[in-house]
Amino acid sequence: MSTVTTTPVFSVDGLWKVFGPKADRVPADPELAALGAAELRARTGCTAAVRDVSFDVRKGEVFVVMGLSGSGKSTLVRCLTRLIEPTAGTIAIDGEDVRAMDRSRLRALRRHRAAMVFQHFGLLPHRTVLDNVAYGLEIQGVSRAERRERAAEFVAKVGLEGMEHRRPGQLSGGQRQRVGLARALAVDPEVLLFDEPFSALDPLIRRDMQEEVVRLHREEGRTMVFITHDLGEALKLGDRIALMRDGRVVQLGTPEEIVATPADDYVREFVRDVPREQVLTVRTAMRIATAEEAGSGPAIRPEATVSEAIEAVARAGTPARVVDSGRCLGVVDAEGLLGVVAGATPPADAAPVVGTPSDPAAGSRAAGAAPDPMRAAPGQRREAPRPPAGTNAEQI
Amino acid sequence: MATITAPTSPRTLPSTLKRPAVRKLLTLAAIAAILVPLLTTRWPGTTWPAQLTVDLTTPLTHTSDWIIDNRDTHPLFLYGLGHVSNAVVLSVRAVYLALLTAGWPGVTALAALTAWRVAGPRLAAGTTAAFLTCAALGMWVPTMQTLALMVVAVAASVAVGTVLGLAAGLSGRTDRALRPVLDTMQVLPAFAYLLPVVLVFGIGVPAAVLATVVYAAPPMARLTALGLRGADREVLEAVDSLGATARQRLLTARIPLARKDLLLGVNQTIMMALSMAVIASVIGAGGLGDRVYQALASVDVGAALAAGIPIVLLAVVLDRVTAAAGAGVRPVRRAVWVPALAAAAAVALAARLTGRTDWPTGWTLHIAEPVNRAVDWMTAHLYSGVPVVGGTADWAARFTTWILDPVRAGLLWLPWWSVLLAVAALAWLIGTWRTALTAVLALAAIGVLGVWKPSMDTLSQVLAAVAVTLVVGVATGIAAARSDRFERLLRPVLDVCQTMPQFVYLIPVVALFGVGRAPAVAAAVVYALPAVVRITTQGLRQVDPAALEAAGSLGATGWQQLRQVQLPLARPALLLAVNQGVVLVLAVVIIGGLVGGGALGYDVVFGLAQGDLATGLVAGAAIVCLGLMLDRVTQPTGRRTTKGA
Repeated sequence: MSTVTTTPVFSVDGLWKVFGPKADRVPADPELAALGAAELRARTGCTAAVRDVSFDVRKGEVFVVMGLSGSGKSTLVRCLTRLIEPTAGTIAIDGEDVRAMDRSRLRALRRHRAAMVFQHFGLLPHRTVLDNVAYGLEIQGVSRAERRERAAEFVAKVGLEGMEHRRPGQLSGGQRQRVGLARALAVDPEVLLFDEPFSALDPLIRRDMQEEVVRLHREEGRTMVFITHDLGEALKLGDRIALMRDGRVVQLGTPEEIVATPADDYVREFVRDVPREQVLTVRTAMRIATAEEAGSGPAIRPEATVSEAIEAVARAGTPARVVDSGRCLGVVDAEGLLGVVAGATPPADAAPVVGTPSDPAAGSRAAGAAPDPMRAAPGQRREAPRPPAGTNAEQI
Repeated sequence: MATITAPTSPRTLPSTLKRPAVRKLLTLAAIAAILVPLLTTRWPGTTWPAQLTVDLTTPLTHTSDWIIDNRDTHPLFLYGLGHVSNAVVLSVRAVYLALLTAGWPGVTALAALTAWRVAGPRLAAGTTAAFLTCAALGMWVPTMQTLALMVVAVAASVAVGTVLGLAAGLSGRTDRALRPVLDTMQVLPAFAYLLPVVLVFGIGVPAAVLATVVYAAPPMARLTALGLRGADREVLEAVDSLGATARQRLLTARIPLARKDLLLGVNQTIMMALSMAVIASVIGAGGLGDRVYQALASVDVGAALAAGIPIVLLAVVLDRVTAAAGAGVRPVRRAVWVPALAAAAAVALAARLTGRTDWPTGWTLHIAEPVNRAVDWMTAHLYSGVPVVGGTADWAARFTTWILDPVRAGLLWLPWWSVLLAVAALAWLIGTWRTALTAVLALAAIGVLGVWKPSMDTLSQVLAAVAVTLVVGVATGIAAARSDRFERLLRPVLDVCQTMPQFVYLIPVVALFGVGRAPAVAAAVVYALPAVVRITTQGLRQVDPAALEAAGSLGATGWQQLRQVQLPLARPALLLAVNQGVVLVLAVVIIGGLVGGGALGYDVVFGLAQGDLATGLVAGAAIVCLGLMLDRVTQPTGRRTTKGA
């Protein structure tokens, strides 16, 4: 999160994608635009896959779009490079209007600025691994020797050395997706788009690949837009998450914001089984330190998760100090930590509820983002009995 | 048990009315109740009313005469078709001369090498043996004539088919326009294509090549379009996402992704071309087909067999080698086959220099005479008078008098409108009102053309042959589906049978049954059987094993499983088997005109032999209509995607 700056790579505003006859009239007509999916279909024969979506993707962040199947997230990511033509709204990449681009400019965008990784890999079965990775460069007209040399570098980078001359059919699912990743990386794009890249993979391989993405992001700091239906994946990879439902963004925020303060019942239901202690930071459980506490006890960083704090407190047997560059912000004790795990309201005198302050502009533009946490929390406690910790450990 | 599969038919009137079949029949009955009295009072009698026919003989004769008179002078021929004709003749001759120059050692070595390269050593050995057999039977020159014609026709078919297929694969509108045309072309008997080309080009090699191209290009076009359309969406999307241009997308993704279908298309085209190149001997193709044709005309079974064996060998070799190429077998490495190519060239050159390009006369096997002696013996001992079972000629005669004659008499005895009505009912019950309408219009067109009688004759043969084919074929198919061992035994036989050109089937039936309508029906049955058996077996085997297991777990016997689960679930496959059976039977029944089958096939042959193109063309049009009608009557609602046999 430290790499996040304020220049947006993608800036999406009021984006609509409607499938069906005379799709244009739906976003234009406020009455039609307000209809539910079933009514809209009955009235116009159209389906709105993406409805009035706005967000910014900042340079260097991993922006996750998450939602169940049919929520419009895959359509949304395809609209970004106009693989699917949007119906209304604006998309800008580095301030340049994508919808206004002519064919050759759009091709240039796809060739050099945004590369995509697909759910079912989208590899060419008749080419070797090396030629698949080099394919994007071939499209650009890079000479054979040069593109092969560069492709070999990326094949090595994703850990497929020695398999350059195999064909996709001879690889496992995880290996194929590494090829897909290398192909996207080989063109050195400004932003990487992932369309549910790991949902076709086994859980163990999926975890490996997620770690691979985390590693790549750490090493290169490349901007990524990541589509997933797996909440665990979203929380693990995302700097910010846009949660979609029926074509709309219902909440946009950091993983911690989404888990700690769900925007509505849908989101609350969604994050119900998330092991909160692994997502929320110690700030949530922190209280003001008394004078004696401020001088002793184990020290932890403010970004540390509640889970880490529990371990520290349990080992030391005393409350832990939250220390940020030598300054003691407060302490967490067993009671406060348990309160977070149980989903109880944090102490009233707690320090700022959520971790990273988000960009106010982006936050307010997403529908219903971040309501008052104090109102949301009691409802959450009533409805959501905590599952035993660890049931979802595999997700995280 | 019955509750699982057998729907108890409701007895109450309203629910009976709700069943679509009943509704369709009632609608049809209502239409008939209005129209039939009108028609019968206007035109009484059972045959097609003469007032409703259109005599096309005179205008067709005029057209034909005009074309013959102007073929050497009119600009259309001089600057258009004449060039086509000359190009075809020149290229066929060039290929033919090249093959003769290479001689049997060179051609055999090259063919074996090609087979080795694309399909491995076993097929290379088979190819060598096949070519040497052709030479040993004294059929080298006719084989090369057929091969030369094939090379040119296949090259043209593949080119035309690919262009059409690309157009249909890339544009949805072209695809929708082209598909029904190609579908229909695929069900028409080969004989129907002969006369129009003869009308334009006259009898000779150009007509033969063009008829072959018209017949063989559709599968290539269909499979090219299918391959392009069937490409993995996500791969194409990935290609787009990398910023490919339309050209890059086509050349680096769509065409390579369709490789399997394209090669299957080439395989199908080659097989169709061989089939047609043999039949086109009737319009001057020369080569092996001509030898068979001449031999059959004089009932010389030995000579027919000597020319028929090379046809079969050529068919099997071509099919296996191209199929293996499609499967993507790459057994030979460059380092091995480049020297082998040099060796083959050296063999050809050595043979050329030493003047041994002709097959040594001493090595020729003369099988005609012994075969004819065997046939004579059969004629003497098996044709008739065998105790208890009777002879083959007796069977043929009985089949003719007890089955073919009554069916034909029945069809002619039925009033013409009732035949139309029956066709409408059948087509509508199986398919949609569109297929029913096409079928009825096609049958009416036959009446209008004034060939109702010969068409009913052909139809009677088709019906008899289809009945026999279905009984035998479905029974065999069921047996093969239930016994793995039987299927394993059957498979190679079916493979060979399905690759043989239609024409070849006439040889054994003439040997066994002489000439007449019964042998034509027998050839049709034998030709259509493999496809019916195969489709039935596949259909039964593809029935969801879970459904079978469920039935078994409830204690169903094997027979109950078959009757209540497998057959109902395999219904689409069975309907397809009927459809294919009808289409294939018709193709051969028409060719049966060459061995005394009479009816429409004979009219075509007669028209060609006598230069009476008008008669032949009318018969050809009737064949097209009959083919359309039979296909539409048996066409299930969902159009098939399977390839024709």
